[in-house]
Amino acid sequence: MKILVTVKRVPDPETTIRVKPDGSGIVTDNIKYVINPFDEIAIEEALRIKEKQGQGEVVLVSIGAKVASEQLRTGLAMGADRAILVLCDQELDSLGVARILAKIVEKEAPDLVLMGKQAIDDDANQAGQMLAALLNWPQATFASKVEFMDNYVQVVREVDGGLETVRFPLPGIITTDLRLNEPRYASLPGIMKARKKEIREIAVAELGIDTTPLLTVHKMDPPAKKAAGKKVESVQELVHLLHTEAKVI
Amino acid sequence: MPVFDLFNPSEEHAMLRRTVREFVRDQVEPQALVHDQQERFNLPLFRQLASLGLFGITVPLEYGGAGMDAVAAVIVHEELSASDPGFCLAYLAHSMLFVNNFYRNANDEQRRRYLPKVISGDWIGGMCMTEPSAGTDVLGMKTFAVRRGDYYYLNGRKMFITNGALDDTTPGDIFLVYAKTEKGISSFVVESRFPGFSLGQRLHHKTGMRASMTAELVFEDCAVPVENRLGEEGESLLHMMRNLEIERVTIAAMATGIAGRCVEIMTRYASERTAYGQPINSFGQIQRYIADSYAQYMAARTYLYHTASKLDLDRPGQRIDSDGVKLVATTMAKQVADNAMQVLGGYGYFGEYVVERLWRDAKLLEIGGGTLEAHQKNITKDLTRRLDVIR
Ligand SMILES: Cc1cc2nc3c(=O)[nH]c(=O)nc-3n(C[C@H](O)[C@H](O)[C@H](O)COP(=O)(O)OP(=O)(O)OC[C@H]3O[C@@H](n4cnc5c(N)ncnc54)[C@H](O)[C@@H]3O)c2cc1C
Repeated sequence: MKILVTVKRVPDPETTIRVKPDGSGIVTDNIKYVINPFDEIAIEEALRIKEKQGQGEVVLVSIGAKVASEQLRTGLAMGADRAILVLCDQELDSLGVARILAKIVEKEAPDLVLMGKQAIDDDANQAGQMLAALLNWPQATFASKVEFMDNYVQVVREVDGGLETVRFPLPGIITTDLRLNEPRYASLPGIMKARKKEIREIAVAELGIDTTPLLTVHKMDPPAKKAAGKKVESVQELVHLLHTEAKVI
Repeated sequence: MPVFDLFNPSEEHAMLRRTVREFVRDQVEPQALVHDQQERFNLPLFRQLASLGLFGITVPLEYGGAGMDAVAAVIVHEELSASDPGFCLAYLAHSMLFVNNFYRNANDEQRRRYLPKVISGDWIGGMCMTEPSAGTDVLGMKTFAVRRGDYYYLNGRKMFITNGALDDTTPGDIFLVYAKTEKGISSFVVESRFPGFSLGQRLHHKTGMRASMTAELVFEDCAVPVENRLGEEGESLLHMMRNLEIERVTIAAMATGIAGRCVEIMTRYASERTAYGQPINSFGQIQRYIADSYAQYMAARTYLYHTASKLDLDRPGQRIDSDGVKLVATTMAKQVADNAMQVLGGYGYFGEYVVERLWRDAKLLEIGGGTLEAHQKNITKDLTRRLDVIR
């Protein structure tokens, strides 16, 4: 089975994010970047599917600046077979991303596209769904379990208040939730092998599509500073304050 | 063009550091305090290092290793030691003192026989040089091996052997043992199940490095097949000298790992802790601890990576700097850990704040793998002959 996995370069969730004073974006100096954690889960799942089936190909795709090859290289070190980097310096909205991915899907003809349910930088949670619509493919979002049956794939989805099990025939799209798996670490032999794997670069202009964003970020505000906590003397007092002040119980 | 990064000279090195750092954050850090307190070696966690491919880090790919260099070994030691130097010492003993040492000196048949077992972590190894009455004066060793037919018979005791034991009663699995033979110093691969091998004292109550096990090993007519001798009889002084270089460089890396962590901890603490209505990092004396520590750390670290990038694992001849960097980095780490404890005040004296443990661990680095005095002796000797290194 050929699986296409999307990989976005995002700020490390452990770095402190500061908003620029003019609200036009975040301060990017000295920020560490990682693979979007949900995409990392998608890579892991693709590798497990390939390992279980004993054959197949895992192809990574990222959209962004040249530096995103760092994240692709890490995915290759985890075990993916090759990667595609769509070079694009311009800001994209989810629809732009989905349109680019649709083109890549057309070229690569994968049986399955595995994506993170969202990227932790802008938390849009749209690209997977939009891609499914553009391709007219079935989709299962927020996957916490993926199983292959004879001629369909069964996905357990994490939905509000419970689990939903859906099935669809391939090709299709699955977006990953946090509990799907625990991604492996890139091993040292994996790192050494990744050096020889291909990262093919494609300029976004070559794809001949319109990626002008319909959505633009107008302003960013840092979250309100948390007020200092309060020490209480006893459980009774805590319960009392939760009831009367915080009004949560 | 990106600026050259001395600490991560290639993309692979940077990825290696990232992988190990993530592993350390998720798996090593949470268990470090309790294993120090209980003086226990975390064998299951140790074996996970094999799945990262770290045990054969300096062994070529065709022998099942990762085929990386001394800089890579330095990166791993630095990252592990920033969290758990005791655990890292066990890694050093296995991967550098046994695996690397063995690989460099073994023949192909021996490599095929043993490398898969130790690179996979099925077997845990160590190296036996020191004896109860001979440490620095290594040529004063008393352990000797006599050949009779297809076997050598080893007699003697080895002291302070890291990974000598895995817990109170189980010895490590395999050791590279130096012993005197008719033609000089030779080395042997000794499995702990060979007849005549036994675990001597389990050495408890170490100052630091308590997450690694230290033991005395006893050899009484221990029968070692001739095919377990490394190289020719009498050749092993060379083996020993060559491996001491990577040992000292990786010990220096443990030192910079400790120091970097201490700088991080004291800097953060000093910005959060207040006294007299201001953060303590506004006091000049605290600034001096922080700034001096950082500058000394970076100086040692730069010397470390410079030395590692020139270190040829296949031949000796770089002792002047392997010893030089261990000399400055270890004392630096001890001092920086002490500075950190001072900055943290009373809290620094307690395990939960980490520097207390690192402070205890740091001291070993001035003794193990060669004492400061041994390095001073070696450097003076080498420098007198090779003053050209200065220019
Ligand atoms: C936790 C731990 C783990 C260890 N792990 C291992 C291991 O895995 N394998 C192994 O083989 N060994 C191991 N060692 C042993 C270590 O390498 C030795 O302790 C070290 O080499 C010093 O030897 P020594 O203890 O016999 O001290 P000595 O050599 O007796 O030294 C005592 C003092 O005399 C000084 N001195 C000695 N000779 C001279 C000289 N010529 N000039 C000036 N001063 C001198 C020393 O510097 C030191 O200050 C370990 C030790 C410890 C504490």
